[in-house]
Amino acid sequence: MKSEFNQIKEWEREFDAAAKRSLRERMRFSFIYTYKPVLDDAPHRSFDTMEEYREWCKKNLPEYLGY
Amino acid sequence: MNKFSYEQGELLAETFKRWNVEYLFIGKSGAIFYGFPETTQDADIFPAKSPENGRKLVSALRELGYQLAPETERDLIAGKDFVQLQSGPFDLDLVFAPDGIETFAEAQSRSLLIDGKFPVASLDDIIASKRAANRQKDRESLPRLEAFRDYLRSRNLAFLPTNP
Repeated sequence: MKSEFNQIKEWEREFDAAAKRSLRERMRFSFIYTYKPVLDDAPHRSFDTMEEYREWCKKNLPEYLGY
Repeated sequence: MNKFSYEQGELLAETFKRWNVEYLFIGKSGAIFYGFPETTQDADIFPAKSPENGRKLVSALRELGYQLAPETERDLIAGKDFVQLQSGPFDLDLVFAPDGIETFAEAQSRSLLIDGKFPVASLDDIIASKRAANRQKDRESLPRLEAFRDYLRSRNLAFLPTNP
């Protein structure tokens, strides 16, 4: 188990490494595509309120997606 | 589906600018513009909510190649709180009413233009929005995102260099 101090130091090393890359490179590494069940199965969805969206996520999405 | 790239971001920014769409990048994709080294799958946009801006948004999205059904077009012009699009060159989440942010005008006043072309909500607003949304994935990413904000502040940086 890492201490909070060690965890932050580790993150800072990652931020230092990111600072050496261009925005173009950082975006290449950061945006990924993996299929998300249910979520990716419709061309569009609209929700009147964010509450309605959250309820839909709870009801329809697998828990492991973290929504 | 193609993943979002710098080139697509540029194209989006140029197209939205040409149509005078008022918007900000937000969410984890917004944080990535600041240099936050994390992964995500789609771009999150916070458009200003007005019928006029919605109509401009529809025109810009069509130009970018999104296939918009009539009901989606209506939803965008009405500024429904949340619209997800997977009918174009990359996945786009349009959040007209992000949690934790009062108004577009306030968020815009705190935003930054990164690399001279990408309007991005402030990191504080991105963090506030994630904290208010309070999803599992937000709770997991918040400590690292807050550490990144503190890292920038401790070095007097608004964002990491875009072309070091």
